[in-house]
Amino acid sequence: MFIHNFKYSLKTLFKDKILIFWTFMFPIILGTLFSLAFSNIEDSEKLKVIDIAVVDNGNVVFKNVFDSLSDEDSDDRLFNVRYVSEEEAIKLLESEKITGYVLAQVKPKVVVSNNGINETVLKYVVDEIIEYQSIVSNFLASSMHEIRLEDIQMSEFVLDIYSEVSKKMNEEVNIHDISSENLSYTMIEFYTLIAMTCLYGGIFAVVSINNTLANMSFKGARVSVSPTSKKIVILSRLLASYVIQLLGLVILFLFTIFVLDVDYGNDLSLVVLTSLVGSLAGLSLGVFVSSIFKSSENTKTSILIAFTMAGCFLSGMMGITMKYVVDSKAPILNKINPAAMITDAFYSLYYFTTRDRFWFNIISLVIFSVILIVVSIFSLRRQRYDSI
Amino acid sequence: MKKVIEVSNLTKEYKSVRAVNDISFDVYEGEIVGLLGPNGSGKSTTINSILSLLSFSKGSIKIFGEEMSPNLYEVKRNIGVVFQDVAVFDELSVLENIDYFCGLYIKDKSVRKEYVEDAINLVGLLDFKKFYPKQLSGGLLRRLNIACGIAHKPKLIFLDEPTVAVDPQSRNNILDGILKLRSEGATIIYTTHYMEEVEILCDRIIIMDKGSIIASGTSDELKELANIEEKVSVHISELSDEVIEKIKSLKNVEEVNYNGDVLVVIYKKGEDNLVKLMDFLSKNKIRYDKIFSERPTLNDVFLELTGKELRD
Repeated sequence: MFIHNFKYSLKTLFKDKILIFWTFMFPIILGTLFSLAFSNIEDSEKLKVIDIAVVDNGNVVFKNVFDSLSDEDSDDRLFNVRYVSEEEAIKLLESEKITGYVLAQVKPKVVVSNNGINETVLKYVVDEIIEYQSIVSNFLASSMHEIRLEDIQMSEFVLDIYSEVSKKMNEEVNIHDISSENLSYTMIEFYTLIAMTCLYGGIFAVVSINNTLANMSFKGARVSVSPTSKKIVILSRLLASYVIQLLGLVILFLFTIFVLDVDYGNDLSLVVLTSLVGSLAGLSLGVFVSSIFKSSENTKTSILIAFTMAGCFLSGMMGITMKYVVDSKAPILNKINPAAMITDAFYSLYYFTTRDRFWFNIISLVIFSVILIVVSIFSLRRQRYDSI
Repeated sequence: MKKVIEVSNLTKEYKSVRAVNDISFDVYEGEIVGLLGPNGSGKSTTINSILSLLSFSKGSIKIFGEEMSPNLYEVKRNIGVVFQDVAVFDELSVLENIDYFCGLYIKDKSVRKEYVEDAINLVGLLDFKKFYPKQLSGGLLRRLNIACGIAHKPKLIFLDEPTVAVDPQSRNNILDGILKLRSEGATIIYTTHYMEEVEILCDRIIIMDKGSIIASGTSDELKELANIEEKVSVHISELSDEVIEKIKSLKNVEEVNYNGDVLVVIYKKGEDNLVKLMDFLSKNKIRYDKIFSERPTLNDVFLELTGKELRD
């Protein structure tokens, strides 16, 4: 009975032209438009050097990194840095002579007056340096703990640490070059595109659940009067929805990688994991919308599409700046926004060296999915209704 | 005869509205029982309560001797339902739709294949097997809807207004199919507001209005409730009040209505009422186009019992 339902669910979902458009075609069209629209912007932006100020409060790592990024002889020069006092930095920012300034202290801080691509780049670079700093500090702390200083000569200890840190940085930690060549704003757009596709997959779940519940459709009523267990029907249909969702994602990945030259990083297994968990979140969202709202299939689909688009907008689909605005002004919003979680998982996978942020997003997505499924189960378990 | 359905004191309330009001009835094996009533009379609510789709406020429902519940799968295996609205998948062909719904009841593929073919033949869709629902006319779609509900050869079939908005050819096909299902041993509950269908098909009729059963019995038993023996209609273009008064005074005449075109004379009892009326008209040199006599209909019964037309 499970196979019978699964087979026919695949057939009905695959042949639904509207569903296939939104989940297969629309992301590809949008991706192509992104590629056409943003590639020109990137090309023009690559040549620009960003004026910033650094208030040097003794953070050596910061100073070194900014020195290298503002090297006038380098092809990858990203910043024009002035080392000034905080008061002077404020004045420069007010007179719009700089994009922003960095307080290079123990807990570094970025101050900007506007939201834009330059401000976003500055914020990104500082995030990256903090991440880098954290790896080195952690490693040093663990090494210090293991080694008894009285047993070794100090010079040997310093040499060991240096060689270990170098080895670790070369072998285990794959920090991307912080250069204008590598820094791509459009990556966020593609990450949100994947997030959108994952969440749009929820439309399959909306249709599947609608066709199963007696209070939602006559097809659901027909299924409900049959001797097949509701559990089997729902699970087989959701599995079929998930399979089609993943197929849509595979097509989108292949298209963006081979046609649009998008780079998702080297860790393929984690990219796949993000897609699987992201699709699960989309599926749960669809189940939730379908089982909680008692309205037509079109209304439910519209709710899901509107939610997804809003989520993708907040996570940077229409401009990377939005992601930082939300992160700084209302961080909770992106903590509960599945589109932001998926986008950020890809982002952290590509840009950050440690996986803490990635796993935080993955676990958040799993929790999000579990909560929605549990809430939906209360509605799905009902077998008799007050009205149909 | 064996009871297939036992409904006792069924009451269903929607907030302040009592949709079904303390109804009780039994259905016996092999019967076709008609649930007749205007829209909103509680027919579909009764069916959906029997099928355990709706919760109900009071009462008990037994099918094949067992208290009905959503998890009573062995009982459900023997039930077929044709809903009022067409419930098929637009993305599946006629054959696939029937196979899918039949597959919810029949696991064995070879048995299912045979059953699906039988259902297609029963509703006359052999030439449309590979068609998709959107390619079918309203009548053919209704036939597909029926095939999806009965393909698994159920012993008890619920047909909820299966002929709404159907062309005469499809209607005849559907009615023939229902009679064939009964001849094969199925018990059928048929809800409709078309009284002529009920008269053709049903062994017993339950008339519902405002959630209550107002009468039940065979067609002849119900017509006796109408308190009318014969109704004679005459197409006359002109008739004076004086003549109308004279007709009213004729023997056995209960009521006379004239709307300017048609004269309707209702007789409570008596014989040769038609002949006697024709004699009266010729003696008074009143010319008429058509004259015919009717037995009382179920609509007359409904009118008598509720004071309103069945299709109001």
